[in-house]
Amino acid sequence: MRHYEMMVILSDLLEEEDATALFDRIKSILADQGGELVDESFWGKRKLTHEIHKRDHAWYGVLDFRATSEGVAELERQLKINDDVWRMKTVRPELRVHTA
Amino acid sequence: MAKKKPSKRSKPVRTKPCPMCQQGIEYIDYKDLALLKSFVTDRGRIKARRQTGACAQHQSKLAEAIKNAREMALIPYLGG
Repeated sequence: MRHYEMMVILSDLLEEEDATALFDRIKSILADQGGELVDESFWGKRKLTHEIHKRDHAWYGVLDFRATSEGVAELERQLKINDDVWRMKTVRPELRVHTA
Repeated sequence: MAKKKPSKRSKPVRTKPCPMCQQGIEYIDYKDLALLKSFVTDRGRIKARRQTGACAQHQSKLAEAIKNAREMALIPYLGG
Protein backbone atom coordinates (compact mmCIF):
# COMPACT_ATOMS: atom_id res chain seq x y z
CA MET A 1 0.00 0.00 0.00
CA ARG A 2 1.32 3.38 -0.96
CA HIS A 3 0.17 6.91 -0.56
CA TYR A 4 -1.23 8.51 -3.72
CA GLU A 5 -2.95 11.72 -4.59
CA MET A 6 -5.27 11.92 -7.57
CA MET A 7 -6.80 14.97 -9.17
CA VAL A 8 -9.70 14.54 -11.56
CA ILE A 9 -11.27 17.02 -13.97
CA LEU A 10 -14.90 16.24 -14.70
CA SER A 11 -17.07 17.54 -17.52
CA ASP A 12 -18.81 20.84 -16.80
CA LEU A 13 -21.76 19.62 -18.89
CA LEU A 14 -22.76 17.71 -15.72
CA GLU A 15 -24.98 19.40 -13.15
CA GLU A 16 -23.46 19.83 -9.69
CA GLU A 17 -25.29 16.83 -8.21
CA ASP A 18 -24.22 14.64 -11.16
CA ALA A 19 -20.63 15.78 -10.77
CA THR A 20 -20.62 15.02 -7.03
CA ALA A 21 -22.31 11.67 -7.76
CA LEU A 22 -19.53 10.84 -10.24
CA PHE A 23 -16.94 11.90 -7.66
CA ASP A 24 -18.64 9.57 -5.16
CA ARG A 25 -18.55 6.79 -7.76
CA ILE A 26 -14.81 7.29 -8.17
CA LYS A 27 -14.49 6.89 -4.39
CA SER A 28 -16.56 3.70 -4.46
CA ILE A 29 -14.36 2.27 -7.26
CA LEU A 30 -11.36 3.09 -5.08
CA ALA A 31 -12.98 1.34 -2.11
CA ASP A 32 -13.72 -1.71 -4.32
CA GLN A 33 -10.01 -1.85 -5.18
CA GLY A 34 -9.15 -1.97 -1.49
CA GLY A 35 -8.01 1.65 -1.25
CA GLU A 36 -8.23 3.65 1.96
CA LEU A 37 -9.39 7.22 1.50
CA VAL A 38 -7.27 9.56 3.63
CA ASP A 39 -8.60 12.91 2.51
CA GLU A 40 -10.78 14.33 -0.22
CA SER A 41 -11.76 17.71 -1.48
CA PHE A 42 -14.21 18.70 -4.16
CA TRP A 43 -13.08 22.06 -5.47
CA GLY A 44 -16.23 22.77 -7.42
CA LYS A 45 -16.39 24.43 -10.82
CA ARG A 46 -13.21 26.23 -11.85
CA LYS A 47 -12.22 28.19 -14.89
CA LEU A 48 -9.62 26.36 -16.98
CA THR A 49 -6.53 28.25 -18.07
CA HIS A 50 -6.87 26.64 -21.47
CA GLU A 51 -9.71 24.82 -23.14
CA ILE A 52 -10.26 21.10 -22.60
CA HIS A 53 -12.73 19.45 -24.96
CA LYS A 54 -13.59 22.96 -26.21
CA ARG A 55 -14.95 23.98 -22.79
CA ASP A 56 -13.49 26.61 -20.49
CA HIS A 57 -14.86 25.44 -17.13
CA ALA A 58 -14.79 22.08 -15.36
CA TRP A 59 -15.39 20.36 -12.03
CA TYR A 60 -12.29 19.62 -9.99
CA GLY A 61 -11.82 17.02 -7.28
CA VAL A 62 -8.81 15.75 -5.36
CA LEU A 63 -8.48 12.41 -3.57
CA ASP A 64 -5.76 11.52 -1.10
CA PHE A 65 -5.58 7.79 -0.51
CA ARG A 66 -3.58 4.69 0.21
CA ALA A 67 -3.81 1.88 -2.32
CA THR A 68 -1.86 -0.79 -4.13
CA SER A 69 -0.36 -0.09 -7.54
CA GLU A 70 -2.79 -2.61 -9.10
CA GLY A 71 -5.71 -0.78 -7.44
CA VAL A 72 -4.58 2.54 -8.88
CA ALA A 73 -4.08 1.03 -12.33
CA GLU A 74 -7.61 -0.42 -12.26
CA LEU A 75 -9.07 2.87 -11.01
CA GLU A 76 -7.33 4.76 -13.83
CA ARG A 77 -8.48 2.19 -16.38
CA GLN A 78 -12.10 2.60 -15.29
CA LEU A 79 -11.86 6.40 -15.29
CA LYS A 80 -10.38 6.41 -18.80
CA ILE A 81 -13.49 4.61 -20.06
CA ASN A 82 -15.77 7.29 -18.61
CA ASP A 83 -16.24 10.15 -21.06
CA ASP A 84 -17.21 12.58 -18.29
CA VAL A 85 -13.74 12.27 -16.74
CA TRP A 86 -11.67 14.62 -18.86
CA ARG A 87 -8.35 14.47 -17.08
CA MET A 88 -6.79 12.71 -14.14
CA LYS A 89 -3.40 12.86 -12.55
CA THR A 90 -2.01 10.54 -9.93
CA VAL A 91 1.11 11.52 -8.03
CA ARG A 92 2.95 10.01 -5.10
CA PRO A 93 3.70 12.97 -2.88
CA GLU A 94 5.91 11.12 -0.41
CA LEU A 95 8.18 9.94 -3.21
CA ARG A 96 9.28 13.46 -3.90
CA VAL A 97 9.98 14.40 -0.32
CA HIS A 98 13.69 14.67 0.26
CA THR A 99 15.64 16.15 3.09
CA ALA A 100 17.11 19.55 2.34
CA MET B 1 55.29 50.02 -20.98
CA ALA B 2 51.53 49.60 -21.01
CA LYS B 3 49.79 49.30 -17.70
CA LYS B 4 48.18 46.01 -16.96
CA LYS B 5 44.42 46.27 -17.28
CA PRO B 6 42.53 45.49 -14.08
CA SER B 7 40.68 42.23 -14.33
CA LYS B 8 37.00 42.62 -15.20
CA ARG B 9 36.03 40.17 -12.54
CA SER B 10 37.68 41.70 -9.54
CA LYS B 11 35.18 40.37 -7.00
CA PRO B 12 34.51 36.70 -6.65
CA VAL B 13 31.06 35.69 -7.89
CA ARG B 14 28.77 34.94 -5.01
CA THR B 15 25.96 32.58 -5.90
CA LYS B 16 22.58 33.23 -4.35
CA PRO B 17 21.28 30.44 -2.19
CA CYS B 18 18.31 28.48 -3.52
CA PRO B 19 15.07 30.18 -2.35
CA MET B 20 13.38 26.84 -1.73
CA CYS B 21 16.27 25.44 0.27
CA GLN B 22 16.18 28.61 2.36
CA GLN B 23 12.46 28.28 3.02
CA GLY B 24 12.87 24.60 3.76
CA ILE B 25 10.41 23.49 1.06
CA GLU B 26 10.85 19.75 0.66
CA TYR B 27 8.04 18.87 -1.71
CA ILE B 28 6.83 21.20 -4.45
CA ASP B 29 3.11 20.62 -4.84
CA TYR B 30 1.72 21.23 -8.32
CA LYS B 31 -1.45 22.60 -6.69
CA ASP B 32 0.48 25.36 -4.89
CA LEU B 33 -0.20 27.96 -7.55
CA ALA B 34 1.10 30.92 -5.55
CA LEU B 35 4.53 29.28 -5.36
CA LEU B 36 4.56 28.13 -8.99
CA LYS B 37 3.45 31.49 -10.36
CA SER B 38 6.50 33.16 -8.84
CA PHE B 39 8.67 30.86 -10.97
CA VAL B 40 7.04 31.49 -14.36
CA THR B 41 7.29 34.60 -16.51
CA ASP B 42 4.32 36.82 -17.47
CA ARG B 43 4.15 34.80 -20.68
CA GLY B 44 3.88 31.58 -18.72
CA ARG B 45 7.36 30.25 -19.44
CA ILE B 46 9.42 28.57 -16.74
CA LYS B 47 12.10 30.96 -15.49
CA ALA B 48 15.69 29.87 -15.98
CA ARG B 49 17.86 28.84 -13.07
CA ARG B 50 19.98 31.94 -13.49
CA GLN B 51 16.83 33.98 -12.78
CA THR B 52 15.29 31.87 -10.03
CA GLY B 53 18.56 31.01 -8.29
CA ALA B 54 17.17 27.56 -7.52
CA CYS B 55 19.47 24.60 -6.98
CA ALA B 56 19.44 21.86 -9.63
CA GLN B 57 17.30 19.53 -7.54
CA HIS B 58 14.65 22.13 -6.77
CA GLN B 59 14.62 23.55 -10.30
CA SER B 60 13.99 20.07 -11.65
CA LYS B 61 11.14 19.42 -9.18
CA LEU B 62 9.77 22.86 -9.91
CA ALA B 63 9.73 22.27 -13.67
CA GLU B 64 7.95 18.96 -13.10
CA ALA B 65 5.35 20.61 -10.84
CA ILE B 66 4.74 23.42 -13.35
CA LYS B 67 4.26 20.90 -16.17
CA ASN B 68 1.82 18.89 -14.02
CA ALA B 69 -0.12 22.06 -13.20
CA ARG B 70 -0.25 22.95 -16.92
CA GLU B 71 -1.64 19.54 -17.80
CA MET B 72 -4.40 20.01 -15.23
CA ALA B 73 -5.19 23.49 -16.66
CA LEU B 74 -4.20 25.22 -13.40
CA ILE B 75 -1.60 27.47 -15.03
CA PRO B 76 -1.39 28.43 -18.71
CA TYR B 77 1.04 26.92 -21.21
CA LEU B 78 1.70 30.27 -22.85
CA GLY B 79 0.32 33.77 -22.89
CA GLY B 80 -1.28 35.65 -20.08
